[in-house]
Amino acid sequence: MSDVVLETKDLVKHFPITRGIVFQKKIGAVRAVDGVTLQLHRGETLGVVGESGCGKSTLAKLLVGLEKPTSGSIVVRGTDIARLKGNEMRRARRHIQMVLQDPYTSLNPRMTVGDIIGEPYEIHPEVAPRGERRRRVQELLDLVGLNPDHINRYPHQFSGGQRQRIGIARALALRPEIIVCDEPVSALDVSIQAQVMNLLENLQNELGLSYIFIAHDLSVVRHISDRVAVMYLGKVVEIGDDTQIYEKPTHPYTQALLSAVPVPDPTLRGQRDEIVLEGDVPSPANPPSGCRFRTRCWKAQEICAEKEPLLVERERSAHPSACHFAEVRDVVHAVE
Amino acid sequence: MTTDIKTEIDFLPETDSSAALLEVRDLHVEFRTRDGVAHAVNGARFRLQSGQTLAILGESGCGKSVTAQAIMGILDTPPGFVTKGEVLYRGVDLLKLSEDERRRVRANKIAMIFQDALSALNPVFTVGFQLGEVFRKHLGMSRADAKKRAIELLDMVRIPAAAQRVNNYPHQFSGGMRQRVMIAMALALDPEVLIADEPTTALDVTVQAQIMKLLAELQAERNMGLILITHDMGVVADVADWISVMYAGRVVEEAPVHDIYARPAHPYTKALLESIPRLDLKGQQLNVIKGLPPNLTAIPSGCAFHPRCRYARDACRVDPPPPLYETGSGTTAACHFWKEVRGGE
Repeated sequence: MSDVVLETKDLVKHFPITRGIVFQKKIGAVRAVDGVTLQLHRGETLGVVGESGCGKSTLAKLLVGLEKPTSGSIVVRGTDIARLKGNEMRRARRHIQMVLQDPYTSLNPRMTVGDIIGEPYEIHPEVAPRGERRRRVQELLDLVGLNPDHINRYPHQFSGGQRQRIGIARALALRPEIIVCDEPVSALDVSIQAQVMNLLENLQNELGLSYIFIAHDLSVVRHISDRVAVMYLGKVVEIGDDTQIYEKPTHPYTQALLSAVPVPDPTLRGQRDEIVLEGDVPSPANPPSGCRFRTRCWKAQEICAEKEPLLVERERSAHPSACHFAEVRDVVHAVE
Repeated sequence: MTTDIKTEIDFLPETDSSAALLEVRDLHVEFRTRDGVAHAVNGARFRLQSGQTLAILGESGCGKSVTAQAIMGILDTPPGFVTKGEVLYRGVDLLKLSEDERRRVRANKIAMIFQDALSALNPVFTVGFQLGEVFRKHLGMSRADAKKRAIELLDMVRIPAAAQRVNNYPHQFSGGMRQRVMIAMALALDPEVLIADEPTTALDVTVQAQIMKLLAELQAERNMGLILITHDMGVVADVADWISVMYAGRVVEEAPVHDIYARPAHPYTKALLESIPRLDLKGQQLNVIKGLPPNLTAIPSGCAFHPRCRYARDACRVDPPPPLYETGSGTTAACHFWKEVRGGE
């Protein structure tokens, strides 16, 4: 488990806000990802949770090289893929693939399933010789639980859950070490979600994959993840293994987030610690000074506006937590 | 909030105040499409009392939204047709009313909020104008008065600086605030029934918690009947009193919320509960429901759930589909083997 397969250091992505048409003047920046340091170990699933606008999808795009970071590094197999260009970049990308959220828009409706799953081989011909590709694709279909005879069908002939399996097969085609899953089950029906989650877990055990699992559904993330990072406005505010985050959260935002998730058990109604946050997430173009959560935090004091809390282990937090007043509070289970 | 102007609501002479607030009996809705007739609702039924929260639980395509549209009378016709059944509001069958009468029932008696607040609001009118529309059309108020009422409504749903925000356009509101505007609009004329169709599905969890809390408070204040349509078993466990589980257009189980979670009597309910991960448990085995929800143009014979059911036997595969068996006081389940399902393996 100690084998690190992916490491990001101070990863930053700012999207410029410009004014003017011909002479575009930069007047600000949306700080989508603002200094994220993560490590992913071999065979591990790292869950990333947060609300919309917290930068989790931008993080996913940075990791697979769909966006260039403003600064910081992404180290995979000893090389910083953020600096690579051209052929080197193409080769490096082979090891880190992505499963997208919406299985309806992420598959080209004019391509057959065989072409969709086989397309990565066009870009990386060294992985599978031309004559072998069709057989490979059929193996992949079989691996994700689809009928290999359906290779010539089109995406519209499949249901949502089956399409997500196609998306997973495409991500597996190049035998990557790491798969970044960006909300892979959120577009699926409840009864289908479990099928896809179980498939992802089985594939991980069989192929020794490492996952970055991005989702807004905290129950889903808990189910599949070994470690969890909680993001708020472009920063990781708390990171730890699943027991630390879910049983002993120490950051107020994590606590509020967990307390807001309903548990499907009516006997817990009114029994859990309830934290209802006021207001909405501030704009990432103009985040609050110091701690970014202070505008919605009930613990906020002057120091929170002045000094940004670092993501470190603290006196009352056994795992890294970016809060000056980090303290364990159980919000998931019933309290007296 | 000042409710000086009370709507003239006695236009339904035969209402019986001792009858259930809203009752749906054997409702059938079909969509006549080029690919055949899709049987979206096949005998939905439920009963709602004042102050009660009824959750209609089901996956996409189970007919829960279509049922709501049929109650509201906003079904797209064609292709959608109500072919059978009754929707009784205080004993009056709404399906037999004229369009004009139904329009007055909407908003006055029964109101609805939708899943996607952004597309439910008109982007080219201010929020205040759209909120005031209810008062102008239903009560014949002047623009200025209607705007005053709109501000009160925004206040009621706890939108800060309501007097300024009333002149904003929908795009200037966040997702949670838009849903608050929708709630304000629905509650403008003090309806007795509010139908909420997946009101928080498009929202983040912390905002979802805000909205659900607001709905619960407003409901308690007004002793309103709430029909909550959702697929989220967590939200249901938090707020519902009574649950109807729908599958392929039929109600397959009805029970109070505690019973459903503790002792599900229909295999579909049971399987759903076993297939969702829980926040407070780790390492639970997720039980997969095999296969897919049925195609509504070709619903399986007998029990529609039988191809996916681990209890299925020959009796389940033949018509007629299992009736709603009485499983307790007022609770029902549409499964021949409900005793076995409830008793365990």
